Amino acid sequence: MLYKVFEKEGLKNLLAGIISNYEMFGPRKVDKVAYDFVAINEPEQIDLNYKKTTLPPAKKLLFPSYESLVNFNFGEKIEIAPVIESRQRVLFGISPWDLNGMNFLDRIFSTDFIDGNYIAKRKKLIVIGYDTEPSDSNFALSMGAEYATGGYDLFISDLGKKYFVRVATPAGNSILESFAGAVDAGTEDFASYNKFMENYRKKFKVKVDLNQFHDNFEAVYSDNELWEKLSKSCFSCGSCNLVCPTCFCFNVRDDMLINLKEGVKSREWDSCMIPEYGLVAGGHNFRPVNSNRLKQRYRCKLKTFVDKFETYSCVGCGRCVDACLAKINIYEDINSIKKEVNV
Amino acid sequence: MVIEIKDKIAENSIELNSIYVPQVATITKIKDLTPTEKQFFIKIDNPHLRQAFNFLPGQFVELTVFGVGEAPFSIPSSPNNKEYFELCVRNIGSVSGALHRMEAGSKVGIRGPFGKGYFPYDKMKGSNVVIVAGGLGMAPVRSLLLQMLEDRQSYKDLTLIYGCIDPGNILYKDEIEDLRKRNDIDVKLTVDKPDDSWKDAVGVCTNLIPQLKYSPEDTFIVVCGPPVMYKFVIIELNEKKYLPEKIFLSLERRMECGVGKCNHCHIGDKLSCIDGPVFSLWEIKNLKEAI
Repeated sequence: MLYKVFEKEGLKNLLAGIISNYEMFGPRKVDKVAYDFVAINEPEQIDLNYKKTTLPPAKKLLFPSYESLVNFNFGEKIEIAPVIESRQRVLFGISPWDLNGMNFLDRIFSTDFIDGNYIAKRKKLIVIGYDTEPSDSNFALSMGAEYATGGYDLFISDLGKKYFVRVATPAGNSILESFAGAVDAGTEDFASYNKFMENYRKKFKVKVDLNQFHDNFEAVYSDNELWEKLSKSCFSCGSCNLVCPTCFCFNVRDDMLINLKEGVKSREWDSCMIPEYGLVAGGHNFRPVNSNRLKQRYRCKLKTFVDKFETYSCVGCGRCVDACLAKINIYEDINSIKKEVNV
Repeated sequence: MVIEIKDKIAENSIELNSIYVPQVATITKIKDLTPTEKQFFIKIDNPHLRQAFNFLPGQFVELTVFGVGEAPFSIPSSPNNKEYFELCVRNIGSVSGALHRMEAGSKVGIRGPFGKGYFPYDKMKGSNVVIVAGGLGMAPVRSLLLQMLEDRQSYKDLTLIYGCIDPGNILYKDEIEDLRKRNDIDVKLTVDKPDDSWKDAVGVCTNLIPQLKYSPEDTFIVVCGPPVMYKFVIIELNEKKYLPEKIFLSLERRMECGVGKCNHCHIGDKLSCIDGPVFSLWEIKNLKEAI
């Protein structure tokens, strides 16, 4: 890790340099209220004042809602070709919690079996992080995801007069050197960076007490009454899954193209909140009711991966809280569950 | 949460390929087992890959019917057979339905074998083994059964308890008749709905467990059947004080990918596809949704 600083005017040069050399995606205001990560052609299109995008940017690029995995050609012989992405892309302006979400996906897709379809795209993605403003429903601080320790090539913090950059990879360093002209950070830069982070952490208004939560989860696991209460307004729509930076469940499907000579094996997102999720051939459903599915979702976010990867798989972005039509709120539910244990 | 996958992959210089690529295989023969189940004999086309296809009893493959879909099937044939493997498929879903409409000579795609959890035929050597199978649960355990019979002297007493809805549902009927003629395996059959010619037990296979006389210390129990069966079998096994670390269960879940990515088959923090599909009762004791 290198620590560098560059002057405020440097950002424009950095963006212009990247745009002219790479395919770049960044945050842009797409209508009156909504921001989205889209392809960027001009530095001015970038708007780093965004607080939230509907879809998490890294997931949008690396694990899209539908993607081809394998192509088939049914001639005399069946020809099979994997779909391995080779485009180099740059993702600019991703927030620390979305970066941590991407790090979680990286871990899922590289544990046990290496998922080449995902990892090829990931290896070709240059990631530049930025401390964006948290939204009102953001509780990333409580989840320990307001700061990213890795996963990026460059991470830029706005110290007011200068930008402070954490340089994690040679690719990041070469971009920074070529386009922005940075110098090594001095002690006074670290001092103002500390001050910046102290103030930054104060911007997270939602606080959640997660101490011992993952142990407590066990205590309420069989409390059906509690889970029915928490899930009774759920419509099983799956919106929470669609907007989540760490949700990774998918279905594998096979389709024949209309020429009947080619076929494709693909994956598309699935949602653990919809009734078909646990349904097997023959009609047995392993998760037949709402309460069962919500419990599973919370277990997956707040316990399963603490046991498995020593990390929560919730980064506290608050997207599911905003997306839920039934106003189901994960951080309020964490508090309700803890209260239940402490009665 | 630092994940240096870039380095991890660069260091190992892994050539990236898709784990979803199936191998082309041919259905060489199809036999009717019951009105709803067929036996498929499958040979992987590429001879090198065919030789490299080594599986353990209890493991499964993902079978692609091109253009239709992919589904997991456990392998009921003997692991010692290197030329082909078998599948036992009930006509019940979109993939299995398409498979039932296929003829010998048709091409399918095969990924696998998958599953770290298998029936530990190696650890069972020198002990008694009791297999409790219900309905289609006979398919996964047949692989273990055949492997043990091919190495019969390594095991003490073998018992097969097999329960079905009615006599017409019994899988591998001829083979089971042959087994009953042998004196080195005890076969106990039971059906819920007997016909007039039925001479064996009537009722669920759970009823036959209290008769077992083997001591818990040197007996392994293997259980495979429909989800509802496990709960009741385990109650009976606990009653007889059989040891949870010596009871092995094959747990079916919905699987899409087979390689631990799609998350459908999770049971608590375990995934049936890579941690299972065979688990010891000890491993899943505290996973409340396992049974």
